[in-house]
Amino acid sequence: MSSQKLKKWTPYLLTAPSLLVVVLFVIYPILNSVFRSFQNKETGGFTLEHYQYFLTDPLQQSNILYTLKIVLWTVLITLVFSYLLALYLRFSGSRLSKWMGMLTLLPRFIPGLVAVYAVILVIRDSGVINRLGMLVGQEWQLGWMFNEKGIILMNIWFNIPFSTLIIFASLSGIQQSIIESAKDVGASKWQIFRSMILPLSYKDALVAVTFTFMGNVGSFTTPFLMGGNSPKMLGIALYDQFNSYMDYERAAALSVLMFLICSLSAVVYIYSNLKEKEWEKRA
Amino acid sequence: MKTATPKVEIKQLAKVYPNGDGVRDINLDIREGEIITLLGPSGCGKTTILRALGGFIDVTRGSISINGEEVTHLPPEQRPTGMVFQSYNLWPHMTVEENLAFGLKLRKTPKKDIKRRIEEMLEIMRLPGTEKKYPNQLSGGQQQRIAIARSLLLEPAVLLMDEPFSALDAKIRMQMREELKRIQAELNITVVFVTHDQEEAMSLSHRIVVMDKGKMAQVGTPAEIYDKPASTYVASFIGEMNFLERGGEQLAFRPEDVSIHTDGNGMRSGVIRSIMLLGHYASVTIQTENTTIKAFVPRHETVELEEGQTISFDLNKLLTYKKGA
Repeated sequence: MSSQKLKKWTPYLLTAPSLLVVVLFVIYPILNSVFRSFQNKETGGFTLEHYQYFLTDPLQQSNILYTLKIVLWTVLITLVFSYLLALYLRFSGSRLSKWMGMLTLLPRFIPGLVAVYAVILVIRDSGVINRLGMLVGQEWQLGWMFNEKGIILMNIWFNIPFSTLIIFASLSGIQQSIIESAKDVGASKWQIFRSMILPLSYKDALVAVTFTFMGNVGSFTTPFLMGGNSPKMLGIALYDQFNSYMDYERAAALSVLMFLICSLSAVVYIYSNLKEKEWEKRA
Repeated sequence: MKTATPKVEIKQLAKVYPNGDGVRDINLDIREGEIITLLGPSGCGKTTILRALGGFIDVTRGSISINGEEVTHLPPEQRPTGMVFQSYNLWPHMTVEENLAFGLKLRKTPKKDIKRRIEEMLEIMRLPGTEKKYPNQLSGGQQQRIAIARSLLLEPAVLLMDEPFSALDAKIRMQMREELKRIQAELNITVVFVTHDQEEAMSLSHRIVVMDKGKMAQVGTPAEIYDKPASTYVASFIGEMNFLERGGEQLAFRPEDVSIHTDGNGMRSGVIRSIMLLGHYASVTIQTENTTIKAFVPRHETVELEEGQTISFDLNKLLTYKKGA
C-alpha cells in the first residue's frame, strides 16, 4: 500500500475496533430489541400487543407510575440537597466545609449492595433507629421498608455525591470577582444568588438532574432489596419478564418503554445544551 | 483640588493574616478629586488596603472613615465605594445595559432615569450604542471601561481600582490611562488605584504611596518620589538609580544626572563597558573602581564615545542615605 493510501485509511483502522464493539454490542442488541418488541411470539408477525399490555394492564400501569413517582421525588430531593450542599462547599471557607467536601465523595467508594444493606440495618422496623428509640423508652418504627420511602432514601444516598460534584464544579467556575462586584453595587445574598449564581449554574444543575433521572429509571439493586411485592419499579418488572416469565418480547417492549422514559430527560438535556445563549458564544 | 476635609481617612490601620503577613501602621488621608496610587511589588499589601477600603476584608485594627463617617466594619454593599477588579468584572450573562442597570435597579431608580443615565455614561466612556452587547463581544479595554462605568453610575464617594489594566495589552493600557485621567478630571472623582507598575503610577497619579512589606515607605507626588526618594528602597523601586558607597553612606543618583567628559575634567573616572542606543538617548554602562554605574546621555553625545574608552564623569544631583536606610 502506498503511504498516501495508508494515510487515508489510518483513521478508519484506528477507530475500527471500537466501532465494531459498538455495533456488535450496542447497536445490534438495541435494534434487535426494538424489532422483537413488535413481534408476535407465535406467528412472528407485527403486533402492538406487548406495548398494549404494559400501557393498559392496571398492574403494569401502577408499576410505571410508581417508578415515575420514585424517580421524580429522587430527582427533586437530590437537586435541592446537592445544590445547597454545593453552595455551602463553594462559599464557606470553614474547615467543616473542607471536611464535608471530602465526606461527600465517600459514598462513591462504597459498593452499592453494601450500602443498601447498611441502610436497611438502620431503617428497618427492628433496626438501629428502633433500638435507639428503645433506649429512651420509645417505639420508633419508620415503616420505610418495602415501599417507596426506603427506595427514595437510598436513591438520594447514591445520587447526592455525584450531583453535588457536578454543581460544585459549576459553582467553582463562577469567578469570585463576579460575586464581589455584585456585593459592591449593593446586592444582598439572596439577590446575588438569584441574579448571578443561579443563572450561571442552572445549566449544570440541569445536567445533574438529567443524570439522576436516567440513572434511576432503570435502577435494580435498591428496589430489589428494599421494594415491596407490588407495585414494583420497572427494573424489577423487567427482571420478572426476562427471568421468571421468560417472555422476551414483552421484556423487549418494556425495555423500549424505559428507554423512551429516559430519553424524555435526554431531550431536556440536549435541548438546553443546543440552545446556547448569546453570552456563552465565544466572540 | 480641595484639600480642606479628607474624603477618606485611614487611621492606624492594620490587617494581619494568620501567617503574619499583612499591613501595619497605615495612616493616610485621601483628598477629594485626586488619584492616589498604592504602588509596590506583589505581596507588599497594597491590595489588602484597597480591599479593606471596599469592605471585602475585615481589618485587625484601626479605622476607616469615608466622607467623615466611620465605615470600618460595614460590609461592601453598605459602603459608598465602587470597585473595579483586575478582570472578570462584568457579569457575563448580562448585557452591557443589564450590567449597568443592576445597581441602579437595586436602588429603585426610575426606569426612565436608568436609561438616560446609562446613555450618558456610555457617552462619557466613548462606547455609545453598546447597550445590547454581551461582555464577551467587547474587547478587554472596553470591558474595563464598562466596569468603570458601572461603578461610577452609583456615584461612589471613592472609586477603588485593583490593577484594572494589568490584563490588557501594553498599547491599550496606555490608552486606558489617558481615558481614566480624562474621566477622572471630567467628573472630579476620587480614585484609589493599585498597581505594581511604577510607570503607570507615575503617569496617572496625583500622589503615590510606595508600599514596602506591609508598610508605607513614602507618600508624595510623583515628582517628590522621583526626586527625593525617602529610602534606598523607594529609590531603587522608582525609576533607575545608581548607588555608590562612600564611608558609611550610600550615594544615589539617577542615570540622567551623570554627565560624561572625554577631556578628563570630571571628578570621577571609569571605563565604558557598553553603549546601548535606546531611541533618542543612549544608556552607557561605566565601570568604576568598585562598581558599575549607568548613565543616560543624549544620542548626539555618543558620537565621541566608544566601548573600552576611559572617561571621567560628574554627578549633577546626588542623594545620600545612611547605610541600611
